[in-house]
Amino acid sequence: MSEPAVVFDHVWKRFSKGRRARTLAELVYRLPRRLLERADAGGLRDGEFWALKDVSFEVEKGEMLGIVGANGAGKSTVLKLLFRILRPERGQVTTRGRVGGLIELGAGFHPYLTGRENVFINGAILGMRMAEIRRKYDSIVEFAGIPEFMDMPVKDYSSGMFARLAFAVAAHAEPDVLLVDEVLAVGDTAFQLKCYDAMARKRKQGTTVLLVSHNMYALAAASRVMYLRSGDSRACGEPKATIAQYLDELERPHEQHPMEVEGGTSERITGVELLDAHGQPVRGLLPGEALHVRFHYALARPVESPIFAMTLLYNDTRYSLRQPTGQYLVHLNSGTAFSGRVFRGVGCVEVTAPAVHAPVGLYRAKSYLFERDGLSPLHVRDGVGELEILRPEWSDQQALVDLRQYWRVAEAVENTKGSVQP
Amino acid sequence: MAQLREIWEHRELAVALGMREVRVRYKHTLLGIGWAVALPLALMVVFTFVFQRVAQVATPGIPYAVYAYIGLVPWQFHASVLNTASRSLVDNRNLVTKVYFPREVLPLSCVLSAAVDFAVAALLLGGLMAWYGVAPGWGLLLVPVVLLVQLAMALGCALWVAAANLLYRDVQYLLQVGVLLWMFGSSVVYPIPATGPLGWLAWVNPMTPILDAYRGLIAGGRFGFDAPFWAAAGISLLVLVTGAAWFRRVEPVFGELA
Repeated sequence: MSEPAVVFDHVWKRFSKGRRARTLAELVYRLPRRLLERADAGGLRDGEFWALKDVSFEVEKGEMLGIVGANGAGKSTVLKLLFRILRPERGQVTTRGRVGGLIELGAGFHPYLTGRENVFINGAILGMRMAEIRRKYDSIVEFAGIPEFMDMPVKDYSSGMFARLAFAVAAHAEPDVLLVDEVLAVGDTAFQLKCYDAMARKRKQGTTVLLVSHNMYALAAASRVMYLRSGDSRACGEPKATIAQYLDELERPHEQHPMEVEGGTSERITGVELLDAHGQPVRGLLPGEALHVRFHYALARPVESPIFAMTLLYNDTRYSLRQPTGQYLVHLNSGTAFSGRVFRGVGCVEVTAPAVHAPVGLYRAKSYLFERDGLSPLHVRDGVGELEILRPEWSDQQALVDLRQYWRVAEAVENTKGSVQP
Repeated sequence: MAQLREIWEHRELAVALGMREVRVRYKHTLLGIGWAVALPLALMVVFTFVFQRVAQVATPGIPYAVYAYIGLVPWQFHASVLNTASRSLVDNRNLVTKVYFPREVLPLSCVLSAAVDFAVAALLLGGLMAWYGVAPGWGLLLVPVVLLVQLAMALGCALWVAAANLLYRDVQYLLQVGVLLWMFGSSVVYPIPATGPLGWLAWVNPMTPILDAYRGLIAGGRFGFDAPFWAAAGISLLVLVTGAAWFRRVEPVFGELA
């Protein structure tokens, strides 16, 4: 059996929360404290924490290891250690062969230089030889699909063109160990697919792949998945079981406190009530059920033609494989309903949405108050309420849009005599 | 040794980054690479006026303009290396925190890009000497030795200031004053005597013997090196070796500090 391509041997990595002196003046000021201060039993000083705690794993050549975990769990730190950008405090990181990565696209791209010039610099940064880049140049240009722009400075590129060219170069580097941080794949779907496609091709050629991802489908393709939580390796093994454990341990988002986003205290929405069809406070709705919303306002001065609005933001990390959290998925807006009217003092307005068709999951409400033109809000407040769209027993609803729909048996295609009576 | 081999394996990257620097520097300028000549030439004219017409500095055996130009061009190289190298790790933060390569490549690329300007500016020297009727001697053959010593000095300083500035950003500001002081403490635009109250300056500051060696070999009809030059060579080598060692020592934290 050959030696593993990657070995993480009881690796510890310490970070500090920006306490290190960056200027000489700071150093002089901090030195006395630093000398007096003792590290605690765990080897940490004030403000320091372990980003990785005793993490060990091995990856065989040609294997694909997925890494999953919440933000700040230490996933990117693992990649940076492998890339030798960071060094461990304890333990050892060993890699065999050329390590390359899709961690940063377009590293070293200079805005004033042309696409062609940047291909060579970026290629060299990714570890390619000049001769190698020259040989692959045509293929890179073809892959990027922008041959007519190669002599244009990249500052004039659209962001899409920039990403395509950067990715084309990265896809032509041939590392033995490929590190992929999916954070870069926030681009459009076609771009992401291209990324996975390139990864799969490299794997077929025997490249070892380490993939950091939130995309459960991409991770399921790995030979093994490691689950990190606050720097601890919680599990490492068969993808399905590990992903299931990760999803299980994800906590439900905490109770949110309302947060002023914009506006002062004199003209504001003081509260939002989410009610069901019977006027009762509601926390969970089935798709298609009615939602009744009551806005309480307090206006110190007369406000002409006000517009009340509320959005429901997707706030569910359990299903983040479906939609990114923070997306505005439901929007209620009074529009011109109160046009020409003047509101003042304390009161409330109500709106009924007869049927809420939204994807299953947790939502967070955000309220808005506009005056007349609706351009700049008088008051915006986030976290004014929480709502869950429940999963109906009969459905495994996954789509983003749920259409209002009317079903019937179509007589024309109905051949049998005994048609169903509505 | 492993350090050297790794850097050698990344030589193409150093060249690519150096060329990027040169290209970017002269993009969108009318004169382009001509600025490499124009700047020292303009400085030479200014200093010729100041030190010949106003202050009447004596430069035995060499017309002042030639004296100043041979001082200014290598000095510009040195100053430019110090300035760009000090910022090299910080300015390339996105590389230092995202991609691995031996970090020495960044200060090294600064030396390379400055060397391009140096070479271009040196071309004009021939014309200048012909104009003033100064004939080059056999000493010209020994110039590569001086060049090597200066390169060692420049690279050594580049490694020192690049790493130091990453640790403490004060360095780039201190350098602005430091480089100016250093220039006036070296025989760039006027001779620094090796004797007298300030004589020690010529011994501890390698730039003076280096610049004097250029002048002596190219325009002064000298063939061979004096004791201060060998001292300068020793100091340069020391700066390079300690710079490389220190750079390697602090390199592990670069990814966190950049």
